[in-house]
Amino acid sequence: MARILDKLIPSTAQRAIKLRQSHDWIKTELAELSGVYEEKKQKALDKFVVKANRRLSSAAYAACDKTELANNVMEKRLQEYDVHKYLSYRAANHKAAKAIFKAIKAGEDWSGALDAMRSEIDKIKSDRLAFVNKLEARKNASIAKGGSSDPTAYNALRTQLEAEYDSLSRSIDEKHAQIIEKKRKALKQKLDEVSLRIQENRAKGGNAICLSDDVLLSVKGLKMYFGGLKAVDDLTFDVKKGEIFGLIGPNGAGKTTVFNCITRFYDATGGDMYFENKYGEIVDLRNYKVHDIILQGISRTFQNIELVKEVSVMENLLVAGTRAYRSGLLVHALGLPLLKKEEKIMRQKAMRILRFMGLESYASWLAFGLPYGILKKVEIARALMADARLIIMDEPAAGLNDSETAELTETIRKIRDEFGVTILLVEHDMSLVMNVCDTVCAISFGQMLAIGTTEEIQKNKAVQEAYLGVKEDE
Amino acid sequence: MNKFLSEKYALPDKNAAKSDKLTNGLRNLLKSPLAQTIVFVIIMAVIGQLAVEKVLPYSWASAFATTFSYAIAAVGFCLLMGYSGLASLGTGGFIGIGTYSVYYVMAESGLPFLLAVLVAIIIAIVIGAIVGFISLRIEGIYLVILTLGLSEILRNLYMVLEDKISFTKNPVILGFTITRQFSLYIVLIFLAIVMIVTSNIINSPTGRAMLAMKNSTAAAQAMGISLMKYRLLAFIICTVYASLSGTMLMLVVRNAMASQGTGFYALITSLNILAAVIIGGYKSIWGAVFGSFVMYGLQTVVLNNIKFLAENPVIITFVSGILVIIVVMFYPGGLAQLVLELRAKAKGLRTKMREAKYGKDLG
Repeated sequence: MARILDKLIPSTAQRAIKLRQSHDWIKTELAELSGVYEEKKQKALDKFVVKANRRLSSAAYAACDKTELANNVMEKRLQEYDVHKYLSYRAANHKAAKAIFKAIKAGEDWSGALDAMRSEIDKIKSDRLAFVNKLEARKNASIAKGGSSDPTAYNALRTQLEAEYDSLSRSIDEKHAQIIEKKRKALKQKLDEVSLRIQENRAKGGNAICLSDDVLLSVKGLKMYFGGLKAVDDLTFDVKKGEIFGLIGPNGAGKTTVFNCITRFYDATGGDMYFENKYGEIVDLRNYKVHDIILQGISRTFQNIELVKEVSVMENLLVAGTRAYRSGLLVHALGLPLLKKEEKIMRQKAMRILRFMGLESYASWLAFGLPYGILKKVEIARALMADARLIIMDEPAAGLNDSETAELTETIRKIRDEFGVTILLVEHDMSLVMNVCDTVCAISFGQMLAIGTTEEIQKNKAVQEAYLGVKEDE
Repeated sequence: MNKFLSEKYALPDKNAAKSDKLTNGLRNLLKSPLAQTIVFVIIMAVIGQLAVEKVLPYSWASAFATTFSYAIAAVGFCLLMGYSGLASLGTGGFIGIGTYSVYYVMAESGLPFLLAVLVAIIIAIVIGAIVGFISLRIEGIYLVILTLGLSEILRNLYMVLEDKISFTKNPVILGFTITRQFSLYIVLIFLAIVMIVTSNIINSPTGRAMLAMKNSTAAAQAMGISLMKYRLLAFIICTVYASLSGTMLMLVVRNAMASQGTGFYALITSLNILAAVIIGGYKSIWGAVFGSFVMYGLQTVVLNNIKFLAENPVIITFVSGILVIIVVMFYPGGLAQLVLELRAKAKGLRTKMREAKYGKDLG
């Protein structure tokens, strides 16, 4: 009952969620502000060019070399005619061949068919001659009618239009710079206000848990039992801020189970998971539901691609932004302008991420039927869409070839540097792990074998044993 | 600079560009769902009027009115099945919510028809929320069975309440007395609203969230989509549309009988709506509307006019069943998929003809 009441009456916790949502939204708006205005400017300029071309067209006609134009036109017409007539020529040949074959088979005289074919081809030829004459006459007429070329008016108009274009571009820039500055100021002020309120709320709630400063995620004594099976047993590790943390282990070691516990797909049997969320608070992840984890700043990719196949790549990214929208069902159902504004900003953001991932040209493609490597990239792009602080990648290199894996290594580093996120990955591909990870944790049968830098792990006896199954000789 | 027209590509004809712009603008306008819906409604209203004036067969008017009343429920079912991946057989029972609410509200309190419809919608929201909250923890065939049972419970409830209900006098909307002939327009207006709202939802973040949920619950949850919230939303929308459809049916048919096996609330209605959505295409609003035409209007408008079928009415009863089989086997996306494929084929044919005429390489 209390839970239902909690849902009906907005509690302080829910107010806090609302505050955070608006905080995130203002941040997104700030990031996409210049992009939105850039698009507006481009649209205005395109419109101007279309209009200018219409104004320019008659001057351009006056300026062009009439003989050349007429020649070009005639050439093109003749080419079209030839292509068209080639088909009928071929058809005549084919027909004659058929008739001749039939006649030979029946033992009749086939010269009649041959004559028919010849006459038909003669007709085609004479037709073409007539057409050429007609075109010639038309060309001469148009040359005579067009008069001489006079480029002065065209050049003058063109330079004038170019100057207008430049001045328009400059004036739009100035205007937009002012608006952007104003909006940015207002948004920043709003952001400060919201952050302050978040701070106040937090002060009331208090912060019971302490983590050391450089730790982002701390897993302590994590246990996950499925009945009698201990998939993860007493696992403890810390993920530091800004590092690429690799989780390795043989098949069935429980790596994905650890991930599913962190992202709350499984309710862990025991243990604690503390995480410093987007707003700098330390939270116990066990207090959150699966679909609320993303709000704390953890997003993930999947081992098998889990995209929506029937919508475009762009819309797949927008799915990850569902929680960012502030408009509710009523706005969506009525298609109000607020939604359009939000969509514009979100699309801008999605486009920026796609550009970053090198997927710009796939934005409007359906996800269905795209190559596997591209879809894997789209998954990563989708994870980036949520403004996460920690991105969890479940076997990002599974199913990729060597060159794609090498590219992925670069991408993962680039993501870490560009977006300032921490990356936690499970991987079987040792080359990727050893290339990209700062810290590696090896587990086997749900228990920790070793944790350390890549070299330490490579030299570790227990890890070698787990992977190779034999002890190395001295 | 190459953004401006070069003198080499001069086009002396100014007007061609202008008229091209006009037709393109018109074409783009017609691509928006709002304009399409309005055009559709106007055409149907004209056909209905012609039928009332007996230029076209008189039976068409009532056939269209019934069809489009059911189409409202079908559109909701399309959202539930095609976009959130749930199936229900409770449509018949939910249609009854609308019918009985509107009847009781108008009989007891004497509220005008539109307010009664509003009350029916609110009751549907409440019942949909309660039923959804209990039942949406299960999926697939179990949900179907649960809703089926629920629908039967509702139908029995209606039988106990009052088996046969009917409007004794014409309802009044904003001062207009709605005769049975006139009800088609009211139905069309409500259908248009429902179609536009649904297409807005489908193209909004809510619709995308529903699609994501249907495709992969795990990915949807990881992306912050609460399964319960969106399932409940889809279920409530479906219930509200069914209830609205019930009020419209009451407006069109004027009476209803719960104990009748072929009535609005019977299982047959739920199955017919399901068949309509499958035939039309479970992801297309237009498909749902067309599918309900196949289920409810085709017999009156087309099949009865074919002499052979009119003499052997047994065959007509097979038509919808055969259509369902054909669609499921060859066009899993329904008639909407067929239309898309035909359009793609026509485009290919046009390209081929152009190539035959002008050659491949000439732009």
